[in-house]
Amino acid sequence: MGQVLGLWIGAFLTLCVFSFLYRDNPFFRFAESLFAGISLGYYIGTVSANTLAPNLFRPLFRDFPNQAHLLIPLLLGLNLYCRFIPRIAWMARISLAVYIAYFVGINMVQKLQGEVVPQIGATILSPWGGAFTPLDNLILITGVVCVMVYFYFSIEHKGPVGAVSRLGIWFLMVGFGAAFGYTVMGRVSLLIGRMNYLFIDVVRATRQIL
Amino acid sequence: MFWKLRLPLILTFLVGCVPVVTFFLAERVPGVSIVPTTVERYMVIIAGFALLLGVVNVVQGSVRRIAQRRPGWPFAISLLAGLLVMGSFGVLSALRVGPFQGLLAGPRGEVTPFLWMTRHFFDPLQAAIFSLLAFYIASAAFRAFRVRNLEAALLIIAAFLVMLGRTPLGEYIFRWAPGGERWLPGLTDWFMAVPNTAAQRGVIIGAALGAASLSLRVILGIERSYLGAKER
Amino acid sequence: MKLERLVRLDRRIIYLLIAVGTLLPILWRIGFPVSPTPPVQALFARLETLGPGDIVLASFDYGPTTAPEITPMARAVLRHCFERRIRVVAIALFPLGGVTMGGEVLGEMAAEYPALRDGEDYVYLGYKDGTQAAMKLMGASFASVFPFSNAGVPVEEIPLMQQVRNYADIDLVVSFSTNVIGEWWANLVNAQFGVPVAVGTTAVWAPKHFAFLDSGQILGLLGGLKGASEYEHLLVAAYPRLEPLYERAGVYTAMKGMDAQTVDHAIIMLFILIGNAAHFWMRRRESARRPG
Repeated sequence: MGQVLGLWIGAFLTLCVFSFLYRDNPFFRFAESLFAGISLGYYIGTVSANTLAPNLFRPLFRDFPNQAHLLIPLLLGLNLYCRFIPRIAWMARISLAVYIAYFVGINMVQKLQGEVVPQIGATILSPWGGAFTPLDNLILITGVVCVMVYFYFSIEHKGPVGAVSRLGIWFLMVGFGAAFGYTVMGRVSLLIGRMNYLFIDVVRATRQIL
Repeated sequence: MFWKLRLPLILTFLVGCVPVVTFFLAERVPGVSIVPTTVERYMVIIAGFALLLGVVNVVQGSVRRIAQRRPGWPFAISLLAGLLVMGSFGVLSALRVGPFQGLLAGPRGEVTPFLWMTRHFFDPLQAAIFSLLAFYIASAAFRAFRVRNLEAALLIIAAFLVMLGRTPLGEYIFRWAPGGERWLPGLTDWFMAVPNTAAQRGVIIGAALGAASLSLRVILGIERSYLGAKER
Repeated sequence: MKLERLVRLDRRIIYLLIAVGTLLPILWRIGFPVSPTPPVQALFARLETLGPGDIVLASFDYGPTTAPEITPMARAVLRHCFERRIRVVAIALFPLGGVTMGGEVLGEMAAEYPALRDGEDYVYLGYKDGTQAAMKLMGASFASVFPFSNAGVPVEEIPLMQQVRNYADIDLVVSFSTNVIGEWWANLVNAQFGVPVAVGTTAVWAPKHFAFLDSGQILGLLGGLKGASEYEHLLVAAYPRLEPLYERAGVYTAMKGMDAQTVDHAIIMLFILIGNAAHFWMRRRESARRPG
């Protein structure tokens, strides 16, 4: 029974959201605000149960002598919330600096070693050859170079540079077109899921109890 | 001045260098790997605290909206109600109190309160809000997608190729020809593997170089906007 | 006059057409054929080389916003692993729904194989914050990131986790991702630790992943509902005993979803063509009316 009641609640909330397609109304506003609140509550739940409890509090309480160093991330984490107290808001900068700096450092290595180097390496190819046609490699190399010339704004895009940049724009349009086509696929899939939920899952469950 | 700006900048430099330096040294110098692994352990925990910063912001804003009876204030009540119920279910699940035995199904397969709320409130709301995009993309395609120049024509040809080639429609169009059902899907496979890859790769390299240079500026203290300070 | 009305068609009529175009194929199945593509076949072929001694790390990096596309591919890949008795360590790195998606999908698939044991053949470690930090730390020690399983069991007491210290003990990572996390498995984990990575991602992010596929940073790619339907098709062709699971009435699968996908694509392409045709006709008429 709890399952069917839940499905009906889900169906009601889904229809509240879809009512926006007709026009803005209080049902949609209610669903929208509930969506925000429930999502934040979900964050609280997952962070508490999956990170703070197992990685911080449980080791601290069960084995404090060996895990006392975990007071460092605890204090740094709590320090972030000083930003909400105007008199000591500046203290949050210390935690923010540590947090941002670490992920920025990872990001730098990740981008250079994980993206720039392998992607350039994969473009260094013999111009004649490819998986589909012998012209594939040439098209790939040309496309990458032209797109990168387009993004180089330190010189004016005129003459030969302008022509190469123009070709880069065409390649970009081709990429954006592919992205648009896939985006249509992605968005439509979400609607398929909701329609399946409303007209198959909810209807079947209701039929079973009637 | 030291505590409010200099110390954060010094910490940014020191902590920012850890992943960069240890990337090169960790395998060459024994014992160095303890530094990044310890820092990473701490970062996992601090990230949890950071994720919840937004909750405090939203609660403050909603309470103010209700107290000052600003337009739409009743909806702030539903926001806070959802947050409090779901959040408290989550915290009780973390403490494993009474029926709140974890976030997912209990030890005997019973549905926990947090899971019930997730299945019947969180999942439908998340899915429904995002499924509206399907309607919007169809409306935008009809009303705004106009082929005004060569670039737009290229974009639309590419989009059509993907929309046809990535569905069975592409197989049906040329079915009348021998081997025709593979023409469009095959062309789409080539298209995604070659021209699309070329375009995406150019963007990836450009964006990665930009991101790496921004990271370096942050570590060196040139970029300070994340501290609310002006750029040096 | 009619052209102006067509171009300014009320958007709610467009919404209605899309809704009907989506609903009808769901209620009355068409059964369009599915043809696998090389990126999907690559992942399938790799899993076919793995067996009972091997371990796959399945990362649930998506939430309910993209579940209709990604849950079918996650189910198909897990069924494939369980058919071949490949052991699965499952985690979640997406904060908005990853932990429940992972738990529910793994639980559903494991229930279809009662001979498999939790803790020995599969384990769910749950969600962890600090995505990149967690990914890097797993390269040194899984236990440092996940000291307990999602059920609260200490990791050192779990038989499967006694054999998984770090990425060196993982034969393949499969990330079911909704955004940039799939890329991070490629440009962080594969790049720095060399562990093979495959990604099943939402259609919106799929085009970008082709660059990582081409550079060898990922060995297979499932893109959107189409990718999921291709994997299901390959799975049923190789393991015919699974066919009834995909033909069950009322159960959502990617192959069934492609019917509605195909109809909606046709509708949207028609919208674009009609909209442009009307626009060009109107422009021609205006320039013909203009004097000189």
